[in-house]
Amino acid sequence: MNRSLLYRGLLVLALVVLAAFAAWPLDEKINLGLDLRGGMHLVLRVETEDAVRSELTKDMDRLIRLAEEEEITGLSARPETVEEGGGAVRRFVVTGATGERAETLVDLARDQLRTSQGDEAWDASRRGDQLVFEMADAHVRDIERLAVRQARDTISNRIDAYGVAEPDIRPISGTDRIVVQLPGVDDPERVRDLIKRTAFLEFRLTEYPRAGGGGAPSREEILANYGGRLPEGVEVLQSTERDEGGTGWYAVQSRPVITGRDLKSARPGPGQFNEPVVLFTLTPEGGRMFGEATGANVGRGLAIVLDGRVVSAPVLESRITDEGQIRGTFTPQEVEDLSMVLRSGALPAGITYLEERTVGPSLGRDSIRQGLRAGGIGMALVIVCMLVVYRRAGINALVVLVLDMVMLFGALAYFGATLTLPGIAGIVLTIGMAVDANVLIFERIKEELKAGRTVRSAIDAGFGKALSSILDGNITTLIAALFLFQFGTGPIRGFAVTLSIGILASVFNAVIVSRWMFDLRLARRERVERLSI
Amino acid sequence: MQLFGDTHIDFMKYRKFWIVVSFVLLAVGIFSVFVHGKLNIGIDFAGGTQLTLKFKEAVEPAELRGVLAGAGVADAQIQRFGEVGEHEAIVKAPLAEDGAEGAAAETGAEGGPDAGAEGGADRSRRAIVEALDARYNQGRTGIDLNRAGASEIATALLGGIREVRSEADLARQADALAVAEAILDARREVGLFTDWDEVAAAPGVDAEALSRLQSAAYLGEFALLGVESVGPQIGEELRTKGILAVILSMIGMMVYIWLRFELRFGIGALMATIHDVLVCLGFYALAGFEFNLTTIAAFLTLVGYSVNDTVVIFDRVRENMRRTRRMPLVDLMNLSLNQTLSRTILTSGTTLLAVGSLLLIGGDVLRGFAFVITVGVIVGTYSSIYIAGPFTLLWEQLFGGEARARRQERSTRAA
Repeated sequence: MNRSLLYRGLLVLALVVLAAFAAWPLDEKINLGLDLRGGMHLVLRVETEDAVRSELTKDMDRLIRLAEEEEITGLSARPETVEEGGGAVRRFVVTGATGERAETLVDLARDQLRTSQGDEAWDASRRGDQLVFEMADAHVRDIERLAVRQARDTISNRIDAYGVAEPDIRPISGTDRIVVQLPGVDDPERVRDLIKRTAFLEFRLTEYPRAGGGGAPSREEILANYGGRLPEGVEVLQSTERDEGGTGWYAVQSRPVITGRDLKSARPGPGQFNEPVVLFTLTPEGGRMFGEATGANVGRGLAIVLDGRVVSAPVLESRITDEGQIRGTFTPQEVEDLSMVLRSGALPAGITYLEERTVGPSLGRDSIRQGLRAGGIGMALVIVCMLVVYRRAGINALVVLVLDMVMLFGALAYFGATLTLPGIAGIVLTIGMAVDANVLIFERIKEELKAGRTVRSAIDAGFGKALSSILDGNITTLIAALFLFQFGTGPIRGFAVTLSIGILASVFNAVIVSRWMFDLRLARRERVERLSI
Repeated sequence: MQLFGDTHIDFMKYRKFWIVVSFVLLAVGIFSVFVHGKLNIGIDFAGGTQLTLKFKEAVEPAELRGVLAGAGVADAQIQRFGEVGEHEAIVKAPLAEDGAEGAAAETGAEGGPDAGAEGGADRSRRAIVEALDARYNQGRTGIDLNRAGASEIATALLGGIREVRSEADLARQADALAVAEAILDARREVGLFTDWDEVAAAPGVDAEALSRLQSAAYLGEFALLGVESVGPQIGEELRTKGILAVILSMIGMMVYIWLRFELRFGIGALMATIHDVLVCLGFYALAGFEFNLTTIAAFLTLVGYSVNDTVVIFDRVRENMRRTRRMPLVDLMNLSLNQTLSRTILTSGTTLLAVGSLLLIGGDVLRGFAFVITVGVIVGTYSSIYIAGPFTLLWEQLFGGEARARRQERSTRAA
């Protein structure tokens, strides 16, 4: 057997083995889309406008307070809508500050009102005897970004509590939207209520570990500490997912010291040694309650609980009344996150449902069954057809078709591509169109044979001349698939991917494998008189 | 076996007749879609809510419509779905009147992100489920085992107690959850529990569990197999994206053909493709299938297939052009068409076999898709012969080499 034949044969074998290996066992290796597996797909919009409005009010109040500290009193401020922004509230106007007082105010704004990245948040200008503060673009974008992140984290926490296998919650970058994919959920009402619920923030004293910190590694350890039975007034809570992975467990008091209602604000800031800390303020009443509790419990841990999960449990270093710092070995990112978490009990940013699709798994199951059945029958019919028309050469078509399927599933499994219901349609379509390349080649070979060429040269010519047609035709279909992928959403993308892989596999097989099979047959004898085609 | 001997069919002879036929088909198609407005637009593009329901007993669409209308959901479209004995139906409700996304977010008492904005689509869905509940599950107490989630079922199994105070509690909770999952699995198999025996058959449901369930839950008359809710904004975006995708891909292909062949062929291919899309759209509308995202995918595939078909013929024409220097285009076309006839019939045939089986036994969800491809293959094959060819010839006559020469002659003579 000549060398090229051997190498090509090995190549094909290698590909088949790889594909089979990647795709077996079939039901575990193939990534099923939500429409086949069952689950929920949501698109939410975060009403960032609320967050912007709220920040504006906060900054406005803060500026007035800072001014009062500098002995500048008698000011009044109110927000204003901006016409160009479509009626958005982006400015506030301060009356009663002129001359030097105005200067000081502008300086205060510049120094103290900054975005989380440290840029200036406001542009000040004068209008008659009023000072107009306009929100800088960077600040607006910053708030929007943070609002979306916060919404995402909140939703993520709640879904976590619900217990979904592989939740996929992610914002669409550059927009105010979040996509939520929850496989296996067949209770849409419950999930929607869950997302809808208000974030519930509580501060609770920790019982075990007494100093809070990272918590205990497991619920069992905590129970063991109490001899297997928790005392009254003590609860076990899990922490949220840590960056390094894993969670911690805490035994905390059932009654909170203060809740989100008592929190006025929280934001990142520099601590005593310029390390990142969270600066927070409480309402007067909250401050009083907090003062009592913290004064009596210095050295103990204070768990910050959001929606029933412990976000952080720093140690109380001193009595805190209405203003305090949360210190720890935080990175700037953690401090930002924590502030956001605290604020989520105080910062309103609503969520609107833009799109929801829930498919119960029984629907998906039926669809798979029917689709595969159609595919199987279709394939059988096509093969019979090819065998009848092209006789022995039809076996090439059979082999090619089988290899197509093997490679298709192998590629799907290997690349982790998602198989959706339209994707199954794509597979069936590929079966029908896959033979096209074969037909083109075979028809050519027949023509060449009729024109008087020898078998060998007819085969050569057939493959050679048919190639340009095959390429042109399939490239145009690939162009269609490309646009489908570009403009399509989940299930449609699945179709585009399946179709593309199917086309590539079928061209490869029709050109390389089929040729190899012909060559194999020719290599057996010196002169071949007739070709069964 | 030779499929077709050496054929010498003069395809181009009756091309004028066939173009007229095409125009008639096109006119019917355009009329039924755009003028008569017969296209059944799905919620993907129009927005709204669509629920797939399974009922314990057969329910007449008319009755359902009445129930829904009574609850304020007018204009609901009811459609039977799935196999006959399964009592499945699809309820489609358009967006609520105001069409807007709903009230602005409320700030809850605790503040915080509150998904309070209930869009129009949201309202319809809630209204529908409540209406059905009121009518069909009247007077039942407890949770509906046909609609509850794992957590609720687990709570019912635990007799309503969810606190964890000890190791034993932990273990009990985990067990209850496992049994709840098993019950859900069983429900997924049948779609709807019609009998307590079906529930008892789930692994882990012993006598005690069953009695707890029976006291805390009931078997509702219907189950929600699927929900789809699309707000107006997304609907519009999908519409735009869909149309853009089809148009851009057609242009993209035409450019590709222009580059690989010549402009006149690109024009021919474009005409054939536009013809295919419009005629198929017409048939689709007449057949009453729903026009949604999957339909767009089908049409894009159709565009790809149609062009593929046309390209194969043009490839032959190009080859023949090189071989026979001076043959007029008409004869070239005929020759190429005859030469590729076997291939055309065979490929169309096999594709039809595959999508045909999808159309017949592939299930309701993909039927529309299969319809488009099936009709598309037939029309596409026809158009590759009788639209692409003639239009290329027409372009050639009006703007081609000979025409240019004639015009030059005329202008030099005039000057």
